[in-house]
Amino acid sequence: MPAALRWLRHNPRIAFGLLAVLLVALPFLVGAGLGRSWVRVLDFALLYAMLALGLNIVVGYAGLLDLGYIAFYALGAYLYAWLGSPHFGLHLPFWLALPLGAMLAGLFGVLLGAPTLRLRGDYLAIVTLGFGEIIRIFLNNLDAPVNITNGPQGINLIDPIHIGGLSLGQTAHVFGIQLSSPHLYYYLFLVLTLATILVAMRLQDSRIGRAWAAIREDEVAAAAMGINTRNIKLLAFAMGAMFGGLAGGLFAAFQGFISPESFNLMESIMILCMIVLGGMGNIPGVILGAVLLTVLPEALRYIGDWQRAMIGHVAVDPNDLRMLLFGLAMVVMMLYRPAGLIPSRQRKREFTAEDSVAEQEQASLYDAKA
Amino acid sequence: MLSVDKVSKRFGGLAALEDVSLSVGAGEIYGLIGPNGAGKTTLFNCMTGLYSVSEGAIRLRGVAVQNAKPHRIVGLGFARTFQNIRLFANMTALENVMVGRHIQTRTGVLGAVLRGPASRTEERETRERAHDLMAFVGLAGKGRALAGHLAYGDQRRLEIARALATEPKLLALDEPVAGMNPSERREMSELFQKLRNSGITLLLIEHDVKLVMGLCDRVAVLDYGRKIAEGAPEAVQKDPAVIEAYLGGEA
Repeated sequence: MPAALRWLRHNPRIAFGLLAVLLVALPFLVGAGLGRSWVRVLDFALLYAMLALGLNIVVGYAGLLDLGYIAFYALGAYLYAWLGSPHFGLHLPFWLALPLGAMLAGLFGVLLGAPTLRLRGDYLAIVTLGFGEIIRIFLNNLDAPVNITNGPQGINLIDPIHIGGLSLGQTAHVFGIQLSSPHLYYYLFLVLTLATILVAMRLQDSRIGRAWAAIREDEVAAAAMGINTRNIKLLAFAMGAMFGGLAGGLFAAFQGFISPESFNLMESIMILCMIVLGGMGNIPGVILGAVLLTVLPEALRYIGDWQRAMIGHVAVDPNDLRMLLFGLAMVVMMLYRPAGLIPSRQRKREFTAEDSVAEQEQASLYDAKA
Repeated sequence: MLSVDKVSKRFGGLAALEDVSLSVGAGEIYGLIGPNGAGKTTLFNCMTGLYSVSEGAIRLRGVAVQNAKPHRIVGLGFARTFQNIRLFANMTALENVMVGRHIQTRTGVLGAVLRGPASRTEERETRERAHDLMAFVGLAGKGRALAGHLAYGDQRRLEIARALATEPKLLALDEPVAGMNPSERREMSELFQKLRNSGITLLLIEHDVKLVMGLCDRVAVLDYGRKIAEGAPEAVQKDPAVIEAYLGGEA
């Protein structure tokens, strides 16, 4: 097996080709192997990958700890719902509603960023956490005096995405192949996730990406090198928020229903966990983190069925177990792989550099004695 | 080039700088010396926008820059290094210098994502210029090393290369040879001459009296936040006030 992997490494075209075939075939493989409901899980994995890649710009690239990221997801979702549901009687096409949602989220990213520019680390985390909650509470309560968000009931019957004559909300027959709605959304999300990856990669390796990294490393030195730290930080907030808003719009269209409940603090923390688990600042790591943390909780649901089959009733609620295992995984991660499963070049160094220097010094100390 | 006019800086009740005035002419190597805690670095921080000044004015090539944002001052052609080396430790040496090119380049988000011909050319030029500057300060071939893993002397050089990447007219160096051995100091001194010959005005904070005396056209001496002497190095060296500041009151 390692020999095959090495061979693929030397033939990137073939490796990419195989990967592409795998990605296209994946929903069919998963659907046939694990059941139809898993195609939906796959869709959510892609959605979360987009979200995590967006948050990674803010947290991983620019080093700004944002605990209210889900608010941008919520804004994108609600704007899409307002523009495409019976709630206001509007039915705008997705190619208008999605970018508008991304822009609204980006705008709020700047609005949140502006007052927090002087804050760092923990303080920034607290303020962003507050922002996330404020948005959620507004969504919960803006059903009176004018009904904007429909309160805790949320907005229903949101238009699915229509591309040309094809509605992604219904089963379609393309070239004689029957494609259910989750299959159709899978391909849309796949394309958009790949686009997100491309944008994130190119941003990282650019003048802007270097400026973000410089601010993360040493803000004072970055300013003294001519970087307008205010604008560059706001840009990070805005870019991250736009990805969040886009993913939010897709979520609304895919689910057909949204309510404030979907956008609680736990979700923000989940997305942050995806980044930390996978490897902050590193795109493959972030994607792996997003996929793992979407798929594993779903897999844990089987534990409920097993319990029923083995002992006749559910003794441990899989949901409780989920949080338990989550916490355990985080602790184990921090102990053994603090930089993430697939750490970025830089993070790995941050976590290991000092140790290795200390070790070397220690080693040379004994050399001198001998 | 740079004129400092009656600048005071107070931290609460502590006056770190009081009525300090000096002016640096184009093409000069100007030394700023004084005992520890005299306010040299504070003055640097005021000049480069890291501190606001409590009173007074600072002009850079005729433009008032007291209390301006650091990036604006860099934009006017005034770059600096730090006494306690502040590199981007987890970026490579080359990336550090490339960050210095930020203000000389334009590529925004769209350019970065679309990678059109203009932004690709700019990126290539940024890389080339960074390589050239690394070679200029004597770090050729060390671009791939992590800034934080470079030897101490090389880190000082890298900071200078990074500052040079902003294309400054005036470069302020805060104790650039601190902790170096005599041969390294000689090399740095040669580098400073080379910089001056390429048309850059140098402002230098330094403790090494020999280096300052050999290199600087003029020096100013700070003590307890006040300027106590200014002039040619030989004259300042003989100034009784300076001798007293360094050696204490007459015994």
